[in-house]
Amino acid sequence: MVLELQKPRPIWQIMFSTHHTDIGLLYLILSISFLFMGGALALIIRAELFFPGSQIIDSMTFNRIFTVHGTTLIFLFILPSASAVGNYFVPIMVRYKDMAYPKLNAIAFWMIPPGAALVWLGFADFTWYATPPYSIISSPGPAADMWIFGLKILGISSVLGAINFIVTIMKCKHPDMSMGQLPLLAWAFLTSSMIIVVAIPTFAAALLMLLTDRLGVSGFFNPAMGGDPIAYAHLFWFTFHPEVYVLVIPAIGMMYEIIPRFSRKPIYSKSSGIFAFVMLSLVSFSSWAHHMYATGMSFTEKTVFMIGTLAAVPASGMHVFNFIATMWNGRIKFATPMMWSIGGIALFFSAGAGGVANAAMPLDFTTHDTYWVVGHFHLFVMGTIAFGTIGFIYYMFPYVTGRMYNETMGKVHFIMSFVGAILVFFTQHMLGLYGMPRRIFDYPPIPEWIVGNQIASVGAMIIGVSMALFLYNLIYSSAKGKPADIHDPFGLGGKYYYPFEAKNPHHN
Amino acid sequence: MGNLLGLFLVLAIIVIIPTIDHVFAQADEPGEYIDRRVLIWNLFFKMMTVAFTVGAVVSGTMIWICWRFRESHPKATPTAYEASNTWGGPA
Amino acid sequence: MGHHSNWPEWLYIGVIVALMVWVGAEAWNVERLIEHVPADAVVIKVTGQQWFWTFEYEDGTKEVGTLHVEAGKAYKFEVMSTDVIHSFNIHDYVVLMDAVPGRVNTVWFAPDKAGEHDIQCREYCGLIHYNMRGKLIVSEPST
Repeated sequence: MVLELQKPRPIWQIMFSTHHTDIGLLYLILSISFLFMGGALALIIRAELFFPGSQIIDSMTFNRIFTVHGTTLIFLFILPSASAVGNYFVPIMVRYKDMAYPKLNAIAFWMIPPGAALVWLGFADFTWYATPPYSIISSPGPAADMWIFGLKILGISSVLGAINFIVTIMKCKHPDMSMGQLPLLAWAFLTSSMIIVVAIPTFAAALLMLLTDRLGVSGFFNPAMGGDPIAYAHLFWFTFHPEVYVLVIPAIGMMYEIIPRFSRKPIYSKSSGIFAFVMLSLVSFSSWAHHMYATGMSFTEKTVFMIGTLAAVPASGMHVFNFIATMWNGRIKFATPMMWSIGGIALFFSAGAGGVANAAMPLDFTTHDTYWVVGHFHLFVMGTIAFGTIGFIYYMFPYVTGRMYNETMGKVHFIMSFVGAILVFFTQHMLGLYGMPRRIFDYPPIPEWIVGNQIASVGAMIIGVSMALFLYNLIYSSAKGKPADIHDPFGLGGKYYYPFEAKNPHHN
Repeated sequence: MGNLLGLFLVLAIIVIIPTIDHVFAQADEPGEYIDRRVLIWNLFFKMMTVAFTVGAVVSGTMIWICWRFRESHPKATPTAYEASNTWGGPA
Repeated sequence: MGHHSNWPEWLYIGVIVALMVWVGAEAWNVERLIEHVPADAVVIKVTGQQWFWTFEYEDGTKEVGTLHVEAGKAYKFEVMSTDVIHSFNIHDYVVLMDAVPGRVNTVWFAPDKAGEHDIQCREYCGLIHYNMRGKLIVSEPST
C-alpha cells in the first residue's frame, strides 16, 4: 500500500524515493495521465474524420496530432505502464527486497518527463515512424529535432529499466527459487527486457543518423549523397517489430496473473507459457521487413520475411490455448480484472488473424498503409495491451491503495470499451478494404468511407465516455473506497496471492 | 458430425479447385493477361473463410467456457485445488 | 512439468503450423504469378512529388494527374520520386508500389474494361498527402 489519500505522505517523499513500490506508483500515475492525453488526441482525430472536409482543425494540425497520439500512447503509456507493474511486482515475485539498482531505477523513471516534454512541446508532424526523406527535408523544425532528442532520452530510459529487470530476475532472485519456479509475469518481464536490450540500440543509431542528416553533415538517407531512405526503414523496423512484442508480452504476462487466479486453478501448462515467451522473443527478430513489402523488395526477400512473420503465430497461439485450457474446469469469478483479460484474449485473436492477412505478401497490396492496418494494430495495442493493462490496474488497485474500486463502474467501463473497440477497429478493417489510406485529414465523399468513419467515430466516443468513468472510479475510490481485505481483496476464497508483501520503508 | 463433414468439404473445395485451375493455367498472351485483382481478392476471401471459421471455433469455445464454468452455474463445483488449498504463492 | 496428457496442445499446434504453411504456400504462389511482367508490357514512367503525380508515356508525352490507358493491354509502371517517399496506388486494380527517391520500382497491370478509377498516394508525404490524387481513365481498345 503506497497511496493512502486520507493520510497522505509528503509528495517529495514519493518523488525522491528509490523504493520499487514508489517508483511503480510514479510510473502508474504517469502512464495513466498519458493514456488520457493520447486518448484525447484520438478523439480529436475521430471528430475531424466524422465528415469529409475540414471540421475543427487543418491538415498540418491533424498531421501533428496523429504523430503525437502514436508516440504518446506507445512510449508514454504502454511502456511506462508495463514498467509500473514490473517495478511493483517483480521484486515480490523473486522474493527480493527491491530492484537490483534502486537509484538507477529512479533515474530511468525521471528521464521520462523531460523526454515527454520534448515530444509534446515540439509536436512534430512526420508520423511516429519519422521516415526520411520527409523527416529530413520536409518536416518543420524545431519540432522534428525535439522529437528526435525526446525519443533518444526515452530509449535510454527503456534500456536502463530493462537492465534492472534482467539483473533483478536472474541474479537477485531468492536462492531457493529456480528459474522454472518464477511466475510467468516475471518471465514476461525477463523476455521483453532482453528484446529491449538487443533492439533499442539500433533505433538509437537511426535517430542519430536522422539528426546528422537533418543538420546536413551526413547523407545516410539522402540518395544525392549516396545514401538510401530504405536503410532507415530497415533500422527502424529492426527495432520496432521486436518492440511490438515488448509491448504485448507484459500484457500477456499480466493475464497470466489474473486468469488462473480468477478461475481458481493454476495455469494449464507453465512450461508452455515459458517456451512461448522465449520463442516469441527470438522469432520477433525475423520479421521486420514485412512492414516494407511495398518499398520494392525482391520476391525472395519478401518470402523470407513472410516466413519469419508466420513463424510467430504458433507461439502466440500457445498463450491463447493456455488461457482457454486454464479456464476449462475452473470456477470462474467474473470480477472486473477477469472480464478485461478475457476480452483482451478475444481481441488478441482477431488482431492476429487480420495480421496473417497482412503477412501474405500479395494481400499486403490491398491493405498496406490503409485503415486495415490501423484497425489491425489497434486491436493489438488497445484491444489486447490496454485491455490487459487496465484489467491489471483494477487488480492492483487494492494493493496500491488498500481500498476497493467500484465494481459496477468497472464492469460498465469494460462493456462500453469492448463494444466501442469493436465498433472502431473492426470497422476500420472494412475501411481499409475500401481503400481509405492512413494519415489523411480529409477524404473524398465516397459513401462507404463516410459511413465507416462515422461508425468508427461513434465507437471512439463510447470508449472516451467509458474512460471518463474509469478516471472517476480511480480517483474517488483511492480516497473514499471501501477498505479492502488485503489477504483476499477479490473474495476468491483461498491462498491465491503471494504470501509476502512489499515493505515500503516510508510506509507502515 | 455432419456439420464437421460439411466444413471439411468446403475447405477441401477451396483448396482443390484453385490447385487444379493452376495446373491448367495459361501463359500471358496479348489480350489475355492474368488479372491481379482477381488473384489477390480470391486469396483474400479464402484466407477470410479460414480465419472466420477458426475464429468461430475459438470464440465459441471461450463463450461456452465462460457460461459453463462461471461460479454461479448450478453444476459449479470447487476445483481440486480449492478443496485441498494447495495452490497459492509463486510456484 | 507435464503431469497431465498434452495431446490437445500438440494437436492444436499442429493445426496452426499446417494453417501457416498453407497460407505461406498460397501467398507465395499468387505473388509469383503477379510479379511476372509480360514481355510486351507498355512502359509508363510514374513520378511522384509533393503533391501530384506525373505520367510519361513511351512516346515522350507527359500528363499531370490523369493517366490514360487502353483496356486489354499490359502496362508496366516505373515508379520514381523526386523528393520524399510516396506510394502509387490504383486501389480498384490493386496496384501499389512505393515511389522512393534514388530508386525505380516496378509494378504492372492489365486493365480489362473501360472505366474511370481513382489514383491516390499511400505513403504519408506531408501537408497535401490527403489530396495527392489522380484519375486513371481506361478507354476501349483502339484495335
